Amino acid sequence: MADVIFVTEESNTLVDRVFQMVENVIGQEHGSVALVFLIGVIFGGIIQYSRVDKFEKIAGFSMLKDTIIPKMLFLAIGLTSIGLYFMIEAGGAHYHVKPIILQGLIIGGILFGISMAILGKCPGTGPISIAEGRMDVLIGAIGGLFGGLVFTLYYDDFFKPLMGESLGKTILPDFFVGNEELTVLIFGVALVLIAILIPKVELFDEADLSQLPDEKRPDRK
Amino acid sequence: MANRLPWWMGGILMSGLLLLTFSIYGADHSLGASTYVPYFAGIIFDLDPEKYTYLKEIKNSGSWEGVMLFGALFGGFITSVFITKTFRFSFVPTAWKTYKNNSVVSRLLWSFFAGFIMIIGARLAGGCTSGHFLSGMSQLAISALIFGGVVMITLVVTGHFFYNKKAK
Repeated sequence: MADVIFVTEESNTLVDRVFQMVENVIGQEHGSVALVFLIGVIFGGIIQYSRVDKFEKIAGFSMLKDTIIPKMLFLAIGLTSIGLYFMIEAGGAHYHVKPIILQGLIIGGILFGISMAILGKCPGTGPISIAEGRMDVLIGAIGGLFGGLVFTLYYDDFFKPLMGESLGKTILPDFFVGNEELTVLIFGVALVLIAILIPKVELFDEADLSQLPDEKRPDRK
Repeated sequence: MANRLPWWMGGILMSGLLLLTFSIYGADHSLGASTYVPYFAGIIFDLDPEKYTYLKEIKNSGSWEGVMLFGALFGGFITSVFITKTFRFSFVPTAWKTYKNNSVVSRLLWSFFAGFIMIIGARLAGGCTSGHFLSGMSQLAISALIFGGVVMITLVVTGHFFYNKKAK
């Protein structure tokens, strides 16, 4: 009997906290719940539709056998950097710059790069792979939850000191005072050119393409 | 309707989504996708959000990303069933079989380990591919440029040593 009550209380807490999550989003002025959900739907749709959540794309890039990831990433960043700068200048958006925490960025970047090559996913593409049935990535996500648990438990004593002090929220145009617009334009155009110039190499997955009719298979063109 | 989106179309659409997310007419927020993990860990392991410094720090961005994540799961699922036709249950990626091994146990253990250090790495750096690469570099943030450089190098070095690049 006591067990039953325990289970009910537990699930209530879980449901309550998911409601709390939604209420937190309502309380912030960062878009309605519907809009934030929609941003997620589009994010998942684009990643799924362009297949960049695939192991063959991310681990394939780590072996330099597939270049779709850097091509798409650099194109998106190049275009956004120019558009965003002028949007901010016009008052249509704000900066949300992350601080330079040097040790955190370097140690974190190394751990992240190693794990991205092995898992063949990142925290954004992982859930989208799970949504299409990749069970190995679900195990990876459970590993991630334990990672999040350990990080939260030892944040004050270990991880926060390890990250080091913030050196400020500098952006590249700050080094070119008077030429900010030019800096952004050169950066954006350079990234778009890099995206176009990186040779297109693709690693295909037979299991992924076997459901498509022959004439629609990108590897048979 | 095409079953695959070319990389340039994916890049243009992703750029449009980023601008919508940043815009004051959109969410006035940057796009991120790793803070939700410790946020959910707090929920699942039933940690008191008032007791842990980190959970207090990520209360807002963690919940924002949590709602977005539900959207991403939904969008990914619908697209995989109706457009890309790639929904199926699988345990070992094809290229893992070609360049690593055929063992399900090996793949699952490495996945768990990689997932674990991935979230610690992302939270140490304060962002991931979405938060630092897409959102951070688009603002020309120095933090994102440092993270991006370190990740690109480590990724390629790990790929070189971890996999057997000659297909079996």
